[in-house]
Amino acid sequence: MADARNAVLDAVDIESFIFCSDKKEAKDIIQKLTQQMGFSKYVIVSLEFNGPGAHFRVRAYLNKPGENYSWLES
Amino acid sequence: MKILLAPLDPVHDAGVKLIKRKLEALGYDCVLLPPDITVEEIGENALKEKAEIIFISRTVGYGVEQIFRRVKQVLIQQGLFDKVRIAIGGMAVTDEMARTLGFEAGFGQNTRIEEIHAFIENNPDLAISVTSPVKTKPQFPSPHENTLLNSDLKNYLDTIVESILQWSLQKVTPGTRRARITERQLQDVKGSVDQYTAMPFTREYLTQCDPSVVDFFQKGDYPPSVRQITNEEIRKLKNKITIAKVQFKPLFLQHQRQTPLIFCQYGTGCPMMDALHIKVCESWGADGVLHFDPAWGARTEGLMDGFLTNSEDGTPITYANLSLIKSALDEATLWSVRSHRGLNTPEITVLAGFLGADLTKINIPYGSLAGGTDPARLTVDGVEAIRIAARYKMPFDIPTNEELAGVPPHKAFASMLIMAWLGIKLKAQPILKPLICHGPYIMVQGYMDQNYVDYNYAKIQALRSLCDFPIWPGEPIGFMTHTEEKVQSATTTAFHVALCASLGLDAVTVASTDEAFSQGPITSSARISSLKAIQESFRSLGNGSISPSPQAHIWQDQIIDGILNTLKKVSESPSFVEALYQGILGSKEDGVYPGRAGRNTVEDVTD
Repeated sequence: MADARNAVLDAVDIESFIFCSDKKEAKDIIQKLTQQMGFSKYVIVSLEFNGPGAHFRVRAYLNKPGENYSWLES
Repeated sequence: MKILLAPLDPVHDAGVKLIKRKLEALGYDCVLLPPDITVEEIGENALKEKAEIIFISRTVGYGVEQIFRRVKQVLIQQGLFDKVRIAIGGMAVTDEMARTLGFEAGFGQNTRIEEIHAFIENNPDLAISVTSPVKTKPQFPSPHENTLLNSDLKNYLDTIVESILQWSLQKVTPGTRRARITERQLQDVKGSVDQYTAMPFTREYLTQCDPSVVDFFQKGDYPPSVRQITNEEIRKLKNKITIAKVQFKPLFLQHQRQTPLIFCQYGTGCPMMDALHIKVCESWGADGVLHFDPAWGARTEGLMDGFLTNSEDGTPITYANLSLIKSALDEATLWSVRSHRGLNTPEITVLAGFLGADLTKINIPYGSLAGGTDPARLTVDGVEAIRIAARYKMPFDIPTNEELAGVPPHKAFASMLIMAWLGIKLKAQPILKPLICHGPYIMVQGYMDQNYVDYNYAKIQALRSLCDFPIWPGEPIGFMTHTEEKVQSATTTAFHVALCASLGLDAVTVASTDEAFSQGPITSSARISSLKAIQESFRSLGNGSISPSPQAHIWQDQIIDGILNTLKKVSESPSFVEALYQGILGSKEDGVYPGRAGRNTVEDVTD
C-alpha cells in the first residue's frame, strides 16, 4: 500500500496529554503536533485543561461521506 | 481420562484452578498440582497419576519460551514427552508458539473452556460456538399482549382512534398517491433495482412531486450536496462488503440476558459509508441498524432515484440506496427504515416493505409538531403508512423525540399510545419508543438533578402500568447526557443500557461517542467505543438489577395522571387533527408547533 492513510475508513483520532499553561497554549501545541504528524486539517473533538496541562483528542477526517474514498482504491 | 494441571508460577495459579473447575463440571478427573513446583516434579506426578493429558501454565510472560524449552527437555528425559499429550498456556502463550516448541497446543489469554474441551476430545466441533459463532436474526419484538391495562385509557383511545379512522376515510394526499404509484411500479418490475431505476418516471408520479424532484428526473438537477455514485464505486464497494462478510465473526454483547437488543442508527449521508459503518457495528456486536434520511427529504414531495450520496447529514432514501444498504447487511441484522415524519411517509414505507425491512417508524404527532409536517396531511399519510406496514408485516416503532423539543413526557406518551392503539386497530405491530434521556422538560424541572435513574425508571413503569407493548427506548438513549469526551460519552451510554437491561426492555438505540460532537460526521471508531462500553455494562450487570429511589414511584404516578388527562382532552376535542393544531399534545409554550409542509394538500374524495 503506497499510503497507509488510504486504509482509514473515515478519520484518525489522536488523543494525548500535553504540558501547557492554558487552553490557548494547548491549542497552539496541538496545531504544531498535528502538522508535524502530517495532518494539516483537523478538528479538536475534546480538550480539557487542568493542573499540569491538557487532555485532548483531535480528529483528522481522511474520508468524509460523499467524497471519493481512498479505501475504495486500496 | 485423567488430566494433570500444573502451574509453573510461584503464585499465579488462578487460571489452572478455573480450568480444573470447568473440566470437572464436564466430568473429567483432574489433578491440580500446587504452585512453586519444579519441572521435574510435574513429570513425576504425571507418571504417578498416570495422566493422559498435562496442561502446564505459565501466567507471567517474561522468559516464557525459555522456560517451556526447559520443560520439554525435562519431560523428554523423563520419557513422557512423546507418550502423554501436553499443552501449555498463559498470558503470553500462543498456539503457534506452543507448536513451534513441539507441544500439542497452546492456549493464550481469553481461551474459552470450549476450546480446551475440543482439544481434549480431539473434536473441533465442540468449540464451534466459539471458533465459528453463528448469529441468527432474533424474533423482534418479543411477544407481548399488546393490550391496554386501564379502562379510562381504553375508553379515551377507542374514542380518539375511531375519530382518526373516520376523519381520514376517503382522504388522499400527494403522498398516498405516490405510494400507490410506487408500489404498482415495484410490482411491475418484481422489485428489481435495475429495472426500477431504469424505469422512466411517469407523468402520473411527477404531477405529485415538488419542482425540485421533477427537475431531478427531467433535467438531471441534483441538490447541491448530492451526487450520483458511479458504477465503478458500487462494484468496488461490493468487493469490500464481500471481504467483510467473509471475515465476519459475530460478537454477542449481551451477557446472561437476551435483551435489550442493541440498535445503531446510521445516515452518514452516503450509502457506501453507511454500508461500511454497518459492517463495523455488526462486527462489534450491534443487533440492528436504523436508516436516517436528510431533513430536506421529509419536506420535499417525492423521492429521487438511483444510487445517490449526500455530503451532509442523512442518507437520501431511494430504492437503489436502500437496496445497496440491504445487500451489505448480515442475515442476522435487524433493519429499520424510518418513514414517520415527512411528506414521503407512505412511499418510504412501501420501499422499506418491498425490500424486506424488518421495521419502520411512524409517529403522526411527532412529525406534525416537531418534524415540520402539517398535522392534517401527516394524519392521512400516517394512517396509510400504518396500513402499508401491516400489509408488509413490518412492526413500526413510535419515537417520542418531540420530548427533545421540550414537550413533557406525559404528552409525548399520550401521542405514542394513540399511535400504538391506532396500529392495533389497523392490525399492525406497534413498538413504544420512549426517550431515556435528559430532555429539556426534565432539565427545567430538575427531575434528574439527583440521578439519571429515577425519572427514566418512572417513565418506563408508567407505560407498563398502562399497557403491554414492546418497549424500545431511543433515539438514542442517554440523549443530552453525552459530552465530546470519549470515555464519558461511552460510559453514559453504557449506564443507560444497563438501566434498560435492568428494566427488562426489548431493545435500545444507542449513540456513538460522537453523540455530542457536532463538527463532523460520526466515525466508525466512535461507534466501536460505545459498543465496547455497552458490552462491559452487560457483563457488569449480568442478571442483577438497578433499584430506583422512592421518588421514582411518585413521578410514575404523576406521569400516568398526565397521560390520562392529556388523552381525555384529546378525546373531547372535535378531532385528533384539531387537537394537534390546538397544542393539546404539545404546544408553542412547550417548544413545538404544527408544521406547515404539505398544508392544504389533503383532498377529500368522498364525492
